Amino acid sequence: MKGKSIAESEYIEKSERKDEIENVNRKRRFSREEKGKGKLVVETDLESEDESLVDVSFSDVELPAEEVKSPDEKLSKRSNRRTSGGRMERFRDAARRNASRFAYFNTREEEEENNNNLSVEAEREIPSVEEHIEEKVVEDWPGPFSTAMKIIRDRTANLNVRQGSSSSDQVPSVQIKWVPQKGKGKDGSKRLPPSLLDLSLRVLVDNADAIASLDHVPDAMRHKLCQMLCDSRQMNSNLLDLLLSGSPTEIRLRECSWLTEDQFSECFVKCDTSNLTVLQLDYCGQCLADYNIPSTLARSLNSLPALTTLSLTGAYRLSDAGLSVLVSSAPALRSVNLSQCSFLTHGAIEILASSLASVLLELFINDCQSIDAMLMLPSLKKLERLKVLSVAGLESVTDKFIKEIITARGDGMKELILSGCGKLTDSSLKIIAETCSSLRSLDIGNVPKLTDNSLGYLASGCRSLELLKLCRNTFSDDAIGAFLEISGEVLKELALNNVGKVGHNTALSLARRSRNLVSLDLSWCRNLTDEAMGLIVDSCLSLRVLKLFGCTQITDVFLYGHSNAKVEIIGLKLSPLLEHI
Amino acid sequence: MKKEETVKLISAEGMEFVIDKEAAMLSQTIRNMLTSPGGFAETEHGEVTFPEISALILEKICQYFYWNLQYSRGKETEFHIEPELTLELMMAANYLHT
Repeated sequence: MKGKSIAESEYIEKSERKDEIENVNRKRRFSREEKGKGKLVVETDLESEDESLVDVSFSDVELPAEEVKSPDEKLSKRSNRRTSGGRMERFRDAARRNASRFAYFNTREEEEENNNNLSVEAEREIPSVEEHIEEKVVEDWPGPFSTAMKIIRDRTANLNVRQGSSSSDQVPSVQIKWVPQKGKGKDGSKRLPPSLLDLSLRVLVDNADAIASLDHVPDAMRHKLCQMLCDSRQMNSNLLDLLLSGSPTEIRLRECSWLTEDQFSECFVKCDTSNLTVLQLDYCGQCLADYNIPSTLARSLNSLPALTTLSLTGAYRLSDAGLSVLVSSAPALRSVNLSQCSFLTHGAIEILASSLASVLLELFINDCQSIDAMLMLPSLKKLERLKVLSVAGLESVTDKFIKEIITARGDGMKELILSGCGKLTDSSLKIIAETCSSLRSLDIGNVPKLTDNSLGYLASGCRSLELLKLCRNTFSDDAIGAFLEISGEVLKELALNNVGKVGHNTALSLARRSRNLVSLDLSWCRNLTDEAMGLIVDSCLSLRVLKLFGCTQITDVFLYGHSNAKVEIIGLKLSPLLEHI
Repeated sequence: MKKEETVKLISAEGMEFVIDKEAAMLSQTIRNMLTSPGGFAETEHGEVTFPEISALILEKICQYFYWNLQYSRGKETEFHIEPELTLELMMAANYLHT
């Protein structure tokens, strides 16, 4: 009971506080319960029915993060949440007044609402009360991030004052001064001649059957060739034999779905693996299983003595036992990628920890559904030199997990990939920012519960961040702008894919700060105009790649008017799409 | 062709190819060899030897240089490569950064 009322009061407090930040959200919060239910405005009917069902039984307060529910289910859940009628009464009235405004059903907004409230619930699980209070006072930090936020808001507010009350609903955007220049820059219709290397590779791929030998071809060339062959589905076992002949040092096949089990066994049984340093067999589920490892890759206890990099993504038949056999033959492993190996459990991590604790630098376990994050925690902590950790898509990754692993290993962490870990909240980012001072690369795409506070933490904590990937996050334009003001100088790669609120503040900060930015992804950022885009591209002189998928608002004014000759723009109508995969 | 604007590329067998400097500079490797400060023999005489590249391949490479210049000036044609040459050509192209 007590727990629930704390949650309730915080719900109110948090909503009130958030009101100061964003007026628009206030009304939405009150009608949160309505929005998720259906696509029609006919909410009030459901409501009146519900009142009669008022069941004051407080079943567990755990609110699962579901988006689509049947109306009946929702009704009963809602009735469970009825506490003091008065407060709810106020909410309902406010909701009725504003229901018509929210007739348009937007999945993402609803997710936002759900998650804004769910984060309150999640916080309850963390015992300490101080954290709750800390969560809300980022705005009051006397730090560079909040200063930057203030400047940006004042800038917008001044604009408000100057423009008067022209449009009360819309937030007026900051002025961007950029004029397209004719004649300069890249002429869209002229194409650079292809290099001789590319031309010869293409002919080689077309005549792949006629290749007699790949001896003397350096590894880099072999990899390029393999990549093109795999992409065009021309890779076959004969070519694999050529690759494996002699004593190969690196084998990189980014797609092995064409390889059958028999072919795999035949090819690898006679392969001399003593000099093999890199083995990449991605999507090898069809050919790799526990029983053919001992005869092919792990023929003896020291059959892979030089192997430092191993990637066996998609090996869905590989079990913990199979992995154990493999690892015992490869004592020098430094980088292991076992993404999408759905059969592996936390036992696999135990195996890695027992033999590779002092050497393993990189671990990728994206989408390994059977690995429970909390169960693997003790083993994970034993990896003394872990620098790169990727747990993308693992549902069991929670704030508690992050707290524990970062406290143990965060100092040395260089790269963290947490995309799709939907349960994470700002508190995880706080710990990461405070502990991982040498973090170079961070991927927090598709983590919808993160709020602007996270950007604040990152700005003040991770000073060496060179790569940041966001995708479908709900950060505001102001916050991203403020973040870039502080951390933009060091950034080399930035992805703001589908971060819908990106707007002029972001553009201005990018233009001012991102001197070293090489790659930028602004796909689906529909609030950016031609002027904003032009300003970014002309100011970021190191920029070489700009992705603009889904930016239908960008016109030729930008494409032919910008003066950055070195940037390659991908995703609009001019570029052939498949070249860039 | 004036002498100052040409360079000489020498194949493994000793066959010499004299081409425009502008064409040769399309190769980053050759460009570095010819413009690096330090008094290399190559810079002085404008000659570069490639003991690992055969005459047939070197000839094809020179053809590529001229084709590239033509392409940049607007005349976009196809550059045909005989399949037998591709492997060696690819490795030479990689070495020459072109």
